[in-house]
Amino acid sequence: MEQIGKQVKLPLGRALQIAVQGIRIRFGRSLVTVSGVVLGVAFFMSNVTSQLIKQAIADEREQRQTLNLMLTLMKSEIGDLSGKTVALATFGETTVSERDLLAVLRKTPGLTLGAPEALGGKAHLLLVLGAGPATASPDILTAGMAQPVLLDSLAERAYPSAKPGSSLAQVRRELFFGRESEEQADKLKTQAEQATFRTLWIGIISILVTIIGIANALLMSVTERFREIGTMKCLGAMSAFIRKLFLIESAMLGFAGAVIGTALGTLLSFAGYGLTFGFGLITAALNVGGLLVAAAACIAGGTVLSMLAAIYPANFAARMVPASALRTNV
Amino acid sequence: MRNVIARAIDVKRQYKLGKETVWALKGISLDIYEGEYLSIMGPSGSGKSTFFNMIGALDIPSSGTIEFMGADLFALPEEKQAWVRCNKIGYIFQTYNLVTVMTALENVTLPMVLKGASKKACDARAAEVLDQVGLGHRLHHLPGQLSGGQQQRVAIARALVNAPSVILADEPTGNLDKATGAEIIDLLKRLQVEHNATIVTATHDVKMLAISDRIAWIRDGKLDRLEERKDVKFTKE
Repeated sequence: MEQIGKQVKLPLGRALQIAVQGIRIRFGRSLVTVSGVVLGVAFFMSNVTSQLIKQAIADEREQRQTLNLMLTLMKSEIGDLSGKTVALATFGETTVSERDLLAVLRKTPGLTLGAPEALGGKAHLLLVLGAGPATASPDILTAGMAQPVLLDSLAERAYPSAKPGSSLAQVRRELFFGRESEEQADKLKTQAEQATFRTLWIGIISILVTIIGIANALLMSVTERFREIGTMKCLGAMSAFIRKLFLIESAMLGFAGAVIGTALGTLLSFAGYGLTFGFGLITAALNVGGLLVAAAACIAGGTVLSMLAAIYPANFAARMVPASALRTNV
Repeated sequence: MRNVIARAIDVKRQYKLGKETVWALKGISLDIYEGEYLSIMGPSGSGKSTFFNMIGALDIPSSGTIEFMGADLFALPEEKQAWVRCNKIGYIFQTYNLVTVMTALENVTLPMVLKGASKKACDARAAEVLDQVGLGHRLHHLPGQLSGGQQQRVAIARALVNAPSVILADEPTGNLDKATGAEIIDLLKRLQVEHNATIVTATHDVKMLAISDRIAWIRDGKLDRLEERKDVKFTKE
């Protein structure tokens, strides 16, 4: 008498083929599932992008303000910049604003910019920039200047003491930035805390919306096929194969949805802010690294979430007694 | 002596409905012989569909078991149960249970795909079987584009494609009009004769009686009577 055999385990390649065919013949329905994922991911991604753009706008505005402040101060010391000579001493790292300032000065027509010793005392003003301690005393830096004026970007910069026989009293030292009052600092801190809280809150809400959206799309697409899963089991499909099939399918749909959603969310956000504030302002100080990390996280997260949302009902259906799976009516 | 292909041994099945326990099957023992046409008759709610599901390993008995090809069906590991479902049993349902997004041909190839046959072999064999059930001209139609009778023929072709030894048909004519139902019954009978297949149908269609070899009457979860066709008196029911 014939013996009972073992059902073959279909190789992954075949499962992949069957899953792709499944998506193809269910293309319309698959699109609906994908758009569920797209909406979820796009919502999240547009929120992240908006936060990054808002931050970029704020940073860029602050930098522009700082730059204007510095230029105004310089003009108040020596009047119109054109035709003037400015000595420059840089100690340590310069900030973005300082670099911007230098770029503007270099472009100013008629302005000569050079090292103090190279100018031989012809300078109208000495700029001291950078975050490090000075390596020369103010009287040496301003040596030969008719009216020694030193404009410093750092209030607490350390200077070596004056050369013996000369006096610091003749050198006037002005600061680019006065110290912030404690009251102002507190106010800024509170504002920053509120902004962080708002960002966190929006983040949590959008994560929830995304999770629910994706889970709903995939849960529906599987539960409406319980009967089909029951039929497949009647025809000799094994639970592991059904799980594999849905895992592949949901990974593909989830990945497609996540990629489209990420692109869509980013683009919409850029379009909205760009048209309002101008693309120059939003891209100048944009945290591109942060944006790429967020995009990668969105694609990976969307895909994994889709797989998780599909695998739970698929696993449930695969383990069901075929008779019960066949009885379900969705 | 006829070979026993499947044997039900004191099969019981209980369901929990809320706090109440309902016994759908109260212990049925029955031998099914190779090559016979067995009808399981009984009114709705008698437990015949539940019993039918047990024979096909679609449901698990609360106690008792089914022996299939000499082995305890419910003690088999999953890959052997799947092998039996795929290779040895063909299922036909009242509601057809076709995959609605697949064409007739794709539906019929499914059991072959699941046992790893090549696409070429699948398509050739499926077309052949569809032709046998009279649907050679409807290979690429979706179930929705076919009539009820045609859909049931697709389901029959799917049940036949792996040349099983047993075909289980649960109310195969239940959703069909009389004339179409009669055609399906003729088709099943022809299959039994031509393929020497064992056919088990759960039905309450009395027309099935005329072509059955044996009739198992199920009433209230128990085997009420087991009759050879020649003993059945055809009265006006």
